[in-house]
Amino acid sequence: MSLLALDGVRKSFGGVTAVADLSFSVREGAVAGLMGPNGAGKTTVINLISGLLHPDTGTIRIAATDIAHAPPHEIAATGLARTYQNVRLIAGMTALEQVLAGRYLRRDTSLLASILHLPAARTAMRAARDHARALLARVGMDHRADTLAETLSYGEQRRVEIARALAAEPRLLLLDEPTAGMNAAESAEIGRLVHALRDGGLTVLMVEHNMKLVADFCDHVVVMNFGRKIAEGTAAECIGDPAVQEAYFGRRHAQH
Amino acid sequence: MSDLLEDLWAAYASTLGFAMVNAFFALATYATLSAGILSFAAVTYGAAGGFLGAQLLLNTTLPLPLIFLASALAGLVMAMIVAALFLRLESHWMALSSLALVLITRVVVLNTPGLTGGVNGLSLPAPLSMIWLVALLALAVFGFWLLDRSWYGIAAKSVREDPSVAACLGIDPRRIQLIAMAVSGLAGGLGGVLMAMMLQFVSPDTFFIHVAFTMIAGVVLGGSHHWFGPVLGAAVFTALPTVMQAVVPDLQDIANGAALLLIMIFLPRGLLDPRAIRLRRAAK
Repeated sequence: MSLLALDGVRKSFGGVTAVADLSFSVREGAVAGLMGPNGAGKTTVINLISGLLHPDTGTIRIAATDIAHAPPHEIAATGLARTYQNVRLIAGMTALEQVLAGRYLRRDTSLLASILHLPAARTAMRAARDHARALLARVGMDHRADTLAETLSYGEQRRVEIARALAAEPRLLLLDEPTAGMNAAESAEIGRLVHALRDGGLTVLMVEHNMKLVADFCDHVVVMNFGRKIAEGTAAECIGDPAVQEAYFGRRHAQH
Repeated sequence: MSDLLEDLWAAYASTLGFAMVNAFFALATYATLSAGILSFAAVTYGAAGGFLGAQLLLNTTLPLPLIFLASALAGLVMAMIVAALFLRLESHWMALSSLALVLITRVVVLNTPGLTGGVNGLSLPAPLSMIWLVALLALAVFGFWLLDRSWYGIAAKSVREDPSVAACLGIDPRRIQLIAMAVSGLAGGLGGVLMAMMLQFVSPDTFFIHVAFTMIAGVVLGGSHHWFGPVLGAAVFTALPTVMQAVVPDLQDIANGAALLLIMIFLPRGLLDPRAIRLRRAAK
């Protein structure tokens, strides 16, 4: 059963076609990788799925629902969460507050009850804080919970961003280059986290350049170039594919 | 000693009163700004509350609390109309449209003498007691404190800083901004009737560009990231002209401008900046 399915998705910006006739699906409980050289259209695909962009044609389904033209907050409510290629945390908030913002969909209280600080709403807010703190611990950031997030290192900010994405307990997680700017040890840590999340039943689609990470953790890989899918299969199949080698290394190298 | 205090009070009581009235307008502007909307429409909400309140004071025997409530609700209704018309606009267009709305408000007020007294305005009998002003401002500030500590506060901060990230967290930016405008309408409407009572007079010029200027300057000066910023900014901005007039009467306007410039250059996020406080705390 596929949790995410793109069918015939196309997106142009003026005369530039960023994504052309793209179809692929991600099985529930799988870790899927989206690869491709710079400018291949990977981030556009992530933005299309999360609703920041809408396709010109084609359908995008999460479970059975076509969300191709739904606004982002409705898509999030179907159980989708994401991170960004260039970490996008909210200025002026501590690490804990960032994760708390991610818990908005699971706040278990109405906005009015929360504004009036009704007893049930206060209990719910305390529970949300505890949950946020536990998530920070899970990504190894609980010791920086009350630190202004913009003062954290880049790798730390990425981990806070992942905790924020997990706070709504999504079914599908989109990670846009989760290890960009991280060293080998930090990358391996992210890999282990992704693995643990999958074992917990989460479905993950990640854009990733780190071949080792893709090979180690992705059950299924889609490779794009110039907005089109050029290969799909296991990591080993894709890396061995002549079209993929050509896309990454050029034609001459692929012939040898 | 007590004579001196009495003289001081006599000299500055009205300044203090206007500082508190202006705080309502600054808070109304802060309400929308804290959800990412720059709007001058609080002036219009003020006109709605001010003229309705004035008519109720002149023509009914309603108790004051009900008049305050009615005026706040008039501001709320006006804010919902503005939201229906303008909330779809991009931020800078929203700011420009709300400025146009301030101009339109004056024309409408001038041309509906039956409701507003037209060019002549309306004179109100009794002055506003300082107790009411203090109590209502305390109530408003308490309201903003509650908002800030709620899920609404978290959502509004997210929408203000990055609407698309907020939306991907499941926060509907339009819903949050609609609540922000409702709060702005309530604060503006209440500010309107308080302004009318403080002046004991309302006319088309009571709710015009100078109010928009004072409230936005108050928010910028005081700080737009915490509810106390606008209260502080409104106080400084109300007192500044009075003080400057006493100290350097000939250069009052220049001194005002210079003081504002200095604050904007050296404290671009306002006098009260929670982020700077947190950074300082983190550095320790």
